[in-house]
Amino acid sequence: MKILKLPKNKLDFFTSVVQQFGEVHAPVEQNGQFAFQPVRRWSEVRLDYNRTILPPKKYVLPPRETLLQYAGDAGYVPVMEGLDKKIVLFGVHACDVYGLNLLDLVFAGAYRDPYYQARRRNTAIIGIECTPDEHCFCRSMRADFVEQGFDLFLFDIGDYYFTLVGTALGDDMVLATGPLFEPVSHQDVEEYKRRSARKREAFRLHVEIRDLPEIFEMEYSSDIWQGLGERCLSCGSCSMVCPTCYCYEVADEVQLGSREGPRTRTWDSCLFATHALVAGGENFRKARPSRVKFRFYHKQRGFVAEYGRPGCVGCGRCIVACPVKIDVVEVLNQLRSVQNVASR
Amino acid sequence: MSLESKKKILVVDDDADFVESVSLFLEHNDFTVLKARDGSQGLKLARMEKPDLILMDVMMNERTEGFFTVQEMRRTPELAATPIFILSALYETQAGFRVKPQSSWLAHDEFVAKPVDMQALLEKIRARLGARQAAGEG
Repeated sequence: MKILKLPKNKLDFFTSVVQQFGEVHAPVEQNGQFAFQPVRRWSEVRLDYNRTILPPKKYVLPPRETLLQYAGDAGYVPVMEGLDKKIVLFGVHACDVYGLNLLDLVFAGAYRDPYYQARRRNTAIIGIECTPDEHCFCRSMRADFVEQGFDLFLFDIGDYYFTLVGTALGDDMVLATGPLFEPVSHQDVEEYKRRSARKREAFRLHVEIRDLPEIFEMEYSSDIWQGLGERCLSCGSCSMVCPTCYCYEVADEVQLGSREGPRTRTWDSCLFATHALVAGGENFRKARPSRVKFRFYHKQRGFVAEYGRPGCVGCGRCIVACPVKIDVVEVLNQLRSVQNVASR
Repeated sequence: MSLESKKKILVVDDDADFVESVSLFLEHNDFTVLKARDGSQGLKLARMEKPDLILMDVMMNERTEGFFTVQEMRRTPELAATPIFILSALYETQAGFRVKPQSSWLAHDEFVAKPVDMQALLEKIRARLGARQAAGEG
């Protein structure tokens, strides 16, 4: 991988040049929290953010979109407007890049989703290194470093950003800026390594993911699920803010007397009471404990079976968003301790 | 009434002396000139007045303010196709820094280096507005 460095005091110019490749969106502050928004001025950009309210998922799988228009005579007409809009996401953390990589497995695998794929293709990613806070556990989930899924990735090494060039598009961005980027020296590499080691030590939350699928297999009837189900409000906040939750609902919006309308896709959550409701009124997960359990099982066991890795990136958003303070790290560690006690 | 007298040009620049001199020059050549001293004022004025062409400085309150203001203007439907000329000494102060005029976000624009050759600028403005009128856009 090509590695270069960018002087920190040129970052604003670099971002200006990057506008050539699409509308630049970056984290900006919103009432004490952060959100990816179109950049109106450089001083709004907060590269020191901890996490955005919603992950970059919203760019490739919008909370609500129209898939097609249906009409009695015309049949189904796909709605493709806006899919070709070029966006540069500036300042994406490694865990969120990892989240997008996981979504790729879902939407570009056996069942290819042309809407998702078009948006993903038109979204450039410039990653940036971050410092973990009290809710981050991406290192435990092996998502604190990504080797793919970005065009450029910037690491703070003092007066420069140590820059990994991940794609040909990233290389084009470097070339478009003229001589803003410089070659890295041995000292730069050493500084990068020093800072990486310091970051690894900064993680305060840890969860051991080894054996988790097996533990989940054994704890299917654990009392933990009942307890969580009694606390959970089924609000779905954890799903909405999750970088890898991808469940959606598709509905034809019908108006009385009309023979045409849109077919929409809207984010859904397995915690919603109606998520497993099917025609005829049968609901496969009527009770809240079963829905909470399903979410945990899908993330930590189902994903591993399907894609070889858990469906959690350790961003901590669900911990922050949960109104009743259900903490995924606590739950996973609790499951492990139950298992350990039982195996003594 | 000449072609130019119907045309409004918005000058966005924090250098009051430059704004004055370019305004006098353009007014003398039968343009109507609107003035803004920073990006947000320029954006507001552009949305209200819908000028025929915008002259935009880059380094104002922030070093890249002009670039981001241009992008914001491009997101505003009624300004999306308004020609914007970027006027800056950027290439002098930031060695090696270049933007490609043919790139998509500058599709209707020109980069004019400061200090500005007023006569050359006038010709570029006339050429651009004339071309737009010929194409039925103006």
